[in-house]
Amino acid sequence: MPSSRILPEFELLMPQSVEEAVKLLKKYKAKASVMAGGTDVVVSGTQGFATEAVISLAKVPGLDYVKFSKSGGLKIGALATLQMVADSADVKKNYPALYKSAAINGTPQTRNMGTVVGNVMRASPSGDCACALLALGAKIVFQGPNGKREISIDEFFIDYKKTARKADELAVEIKLPAPKTGVVSAFNRITRTTLDLSKINAAVCLTVSGGVCKSARIAMGAVAPKTIRLIDSEDLLKGQKISDAILDAISASVGSQISPIDDVRSTAEYRREVSPVLVRRTIEEAIG
Amino acid sequence: MSTSVVGKRIPKVDSRDKVLGTAEYAGDIRMKGMLYGKVVRCMEYSHARVKSIDFKEAMKIPGVIKCLGPKDVTKKGYNTTIMKLLVPEEFCEVFGEIAEMFIFNQHVKYQGDAVCGVIAETEEIAERAADKIKIKYEPLPVYMRASESRKKGAFQFTSLKPGNLAGEFDEAVFPDNAYGWPDADTGKMGDDLESECDVVVEGNFYVPKQKQCQMENHAYVALYDNRGKLHCWTSTQMPKPVQVLLAELFELPMSRMRVFQTVVGGGFGVRLGMIAEPHACAMAMAVPGRPVKVEFLREEDWIASETRFPGNYDMKMGFKEDGTPIFVEANFCADKGGYYTHGNGPVFCAAAFVHGMYKWKTMRQKGQSYFTNNVPSGAYRGYGNPQTSFVQEQLVEEACGKLGIDSIEWRKKWHKSIGDETWLKGVTYASDDLDGCIDLAVKDIKWYEKKKKYAKQKGKKRRGLGIAVMNHTSGAWPMLLEHTVCTAKLNEDCTVELMASISDLGTGGHTAMTQMAADTLGWPMEDIHLNSGDSDVCGFDIGAHASRTVYCAGPAIIEACESVKKQLMERAAQILEARVEDLQMDSKKVISVKGNSKKSVDARLISKQGVYNFFDPVSGKQIGIPGQIQGYSSFLANHCSPPMGACISEVEVDTETGEVKVLELVNAHDIGKAIHPPSVEGQLEGGAQQGLGFVTTEDIYYDENGLCLNSDFTDYKMPGPSDMPKAKIILVETAPDPIAPMGAKSCGESALMGPIGSVANAIADAIGIRFYEAPVTPERILKGIKESGKTFE
Repeated sequence: MPSSRILPEFELLMPQSVEEAVKLLKKYKAKASVMAGGTDVVVSGTQGFATEAVISLAKVPGLDYVKFSKSGGLKIGALATLQMVADSADVKKNYPALYKSAAINGTPQTRNMGTVVGNVMRASPSGDCACALLALGAKIVFQGPNGKREISIDEFFIDYKKTARKADELAVEIKLPAPKTGVVSAFNRITRTTLDLSKINAAVCLTVSGGVCKSARIAMGAVAPKTIRLIDSEDLLKGQKISDAILDAISASVGSQISPIDDVRSTAEYRREVSPVLVRRTIEEAIG
Repeated sequence: MSTSVVGKRIPKVDSRDKVLGTAEYAGDIRMKGMLYGKVVRCMEYSHARVKSIDFKEAMKIPGVIKCLGPKDVTKKGYNTTIMKLLVPEEFCEVFGEIAEMFIFNQHVKYQGDAVCGVIAETEEIAERAADKIKIKYEPLPVYMRASESRKKGAFQFTSLKPGNLAGEFDEAVFPDNAYGWPDADTGKMGDDLESECDVVVEGNFYVPKQKQCQMENHAYVALYDNRGKLHCWTSTQMPKPVQVLLAELFELPMSRMRVFQTVVGGGFGVRLGMIAEPHACAMAMAVPGRPVKVEFLREEDWIASETRFPGNYDMKMGFKEDGTPIFVEANFCADKGGYYTHGNGPVFCAAAFVHGMYKWKTMRQKGQSYFTNNVPSGAYRGYGNPQTSFVQEQLVEEACGKLGIDSIEWRKKWHKSIGDETWLKGVTYASDDLDGCIDLAVKDIKWYEKKKKYAKQKGKKRRGLGIAVMNHTSGAWPMLLEHTVCTAKLNEDCTVELMASISDLGTGGHTAMTQMAADTLGWPMEDIHLNSGDSDVCGFDIGAHASRTVYCAGPAIIEACESVKKQLMERAAQILEARVEDLQMDSKKVISVKGNSKKSVDARLISKQGVYNFFDPVSGKQIGIPGQIQGYSSFLANHCSPPMGACISEVEVDTETGEVKVLELVNAHDIGKAIHPPSVEGQLEGGAQQGLGFVTTEDIYYDENGLCLNSDFTDYKMPGPSDMPKAKIILVETAPDPIAPMGAKSCGESALMGPIGSVANAIADAIGIRFYEAPVTPERILKGIKESGKTFE
């Protein structure tokens, strides 16, 4: 049986720079996992899912930042911990969905270790920051052997734990657009106990002007093989005055866009039942 | 000034060590030349026969010392539990105890059953080698529930138990396989009286397979020394019985079997008896002269050590329209798991605590345990009583609703009290203030005000209140042996070393014992030290179980200290030429004649001269009275002074998501006397957390092949500190028990029951739907709401 006390054998690589890390990725490709906080890589290692090599970012300088400017938006470095993001007053004020998804993530201990970028890269369908960042329309910056590449988070999640990151690329940064007037967001989740992975989660980011929703992004997690956007629900909301009738219609639209399963945390039936409730409540919370 | 410490909020004797991290748990032990043993468990199947074991590849790994299979260890069968030490031999046979477990098994009966072992220089090498052992299995049919394994034609787990019936209430002790009492007027039993009733309620309940989740994983170090003595350091709850069981298994006299109980990181029943002591000792015997450490992983702890008894618990109750309780009729059919171990114990106790609660005209309860392919069900705090709380307290509430009777008043009127039979036939209550508990809890939570308010509530979130009462026990006399031996050695400086095998599982037991000793002697706590856990040093003690420590071991401590005091006084009387009854001893240990403080002698001098007893060459006499003083007690309990308690919970149910928030919980406990109040409160708070887990989140899940799906803290969720409601613990000391030491009844297990029944009742109160399966998860609540057709606006 895999042991939770004895790590499996793997090669631990400790690059000193982003360039060196990318070189190692080029050499090992999918045979290496990238470790930032290690809260997922180490645990999956002890569960029998170890890779041949682990590339630790611990010695790579300059990646542990959370930078914000009113014009440039938010930049989160690959080594910025969940707690750093949760502690940022700028994040709390301008990106409430991200704030909450980081602040309730895991446990106090894992928040001090785990990173926001790692939460996205892991691409677990139940990732809380992944869900919030999908709704917020994040961009992901990769460094590869041929330089930087920036993609929208919309293109990132492909299938269960399958992403658009190329095997020789390192995710160095996640960016969020500058805050605009009328942009609101919220995140919610349902768990079994306070310190738990999400049974389901939902995040919304809306642009509201005079009670009318100009644009909408709605994301959900743990209801499909990957974190998804509810495009049909977004379409129903766009250009509409937010009313009970619209919220009813949105709730009704959720079911056809999700494909939940039974697992140890919950049942498909429950997830199906509660997803519309969570989406509705998250919209209501965003618009206040 | 009195130095009395009983009832005082003083620091626990072991808190400094635990807070500073210096307490040495079995897993912390490092010894010269120590090797590491790994128990290789069957992970692929929950029911299979081992066809072959191939150690070849494993033995090639440098650092591997030995691999052991079934043929390399004793072939004697055993049972991990200690029933045969608790009851007379004939009784044990009646109960049907069997010894069908082996150190390494060729018939795997649950996922995690031990198949073979590796001994290596390091834990890491042992782990790697274990992976290289090739084991071939032949799968056997899998039965996860009693309802499957009891069917005709099902595979037989053992020829010793036909029909896979591990245990039931045996006819020889329980006529008609039932526990209870007949109606005094008609001689009829249970629901034979149904036709006399105006209101009958019934329910078919499911109670979960809850895991103890103690903090410390099981860990052992064993050494077979060069003098042929086997030593075992273990985190067991029962060092002395484990010594006996190991001596028997390895055919050693007790003089060559030493068990040393290390600091225990939580027990809750999981360490009741043996777990992997046989494996650690068998490995040690294979490498004489070198210690071997065996330490469980958390996931191993989960799949290979016992859980609470799950199963189907059906109950029916009948009442007259004025509320008079007529009958209770019940059956608890449990999933036993792969081995006999506790047999039908908790199933019987579930019935026993029904017996101890209300004044029915008649009660009849039956119970069976059938073998299944999950880890054996065993002891977990409450031992059958939590299951009863979930079932009985819900049905009482439902009945009161139908009768239109205030359920608080009904409970006050009909619960058993002084002179009534307790959980055990023929043993009656000597004290009780359950009414006091109920009144305090009702007042504290503002029951009636809130009830009135919530009657008119609207909206998607609904609040509700629920109550549950309980009775438990203080030790298991007269059903089981309750015996503790204590030796109190008076040191030459007039301090005391107590030697008694008393387990403190984090409960505060060692603190309470020291307090009781201090007050008995009238000396400061610092002058008393409790030496426990070493079977070479300590006399007999049955171990920590059945909430017994203060109640059953406390008197041994008191008697031994009284004996020390008496011997000191007798010597003082001789020295002072006075009568013992005319003497008194103050807190500074000066013994004087009452009313004549000048006529005195220092007890310290008596102690010193007893040891350093010189011959005076001048007078030709001995200086002082010779002999080191020792006090001794071999105490056998003569009652079980059951405590009672009342718990009220307030919940909020989100009718759209099914989520339950426990907002507040008040638990009032009829403790009699709290020896160490912070420990009693700690027990009641910690127990509330486990009770809330039972009723809201906890159950072990298996796939269709019987493989565990949630064997860690990621997938199995118990409430944590951040999930705890505002919990108020009220210690009711208005009914000190006349039989109990210093009036103290038990509190160790009592805390789980109230939160379980009261939260289940509060959920039903909030949304008007009752749930018969625990845990009452959001999934079950939403399903229940949907099926009821109710809407909440």
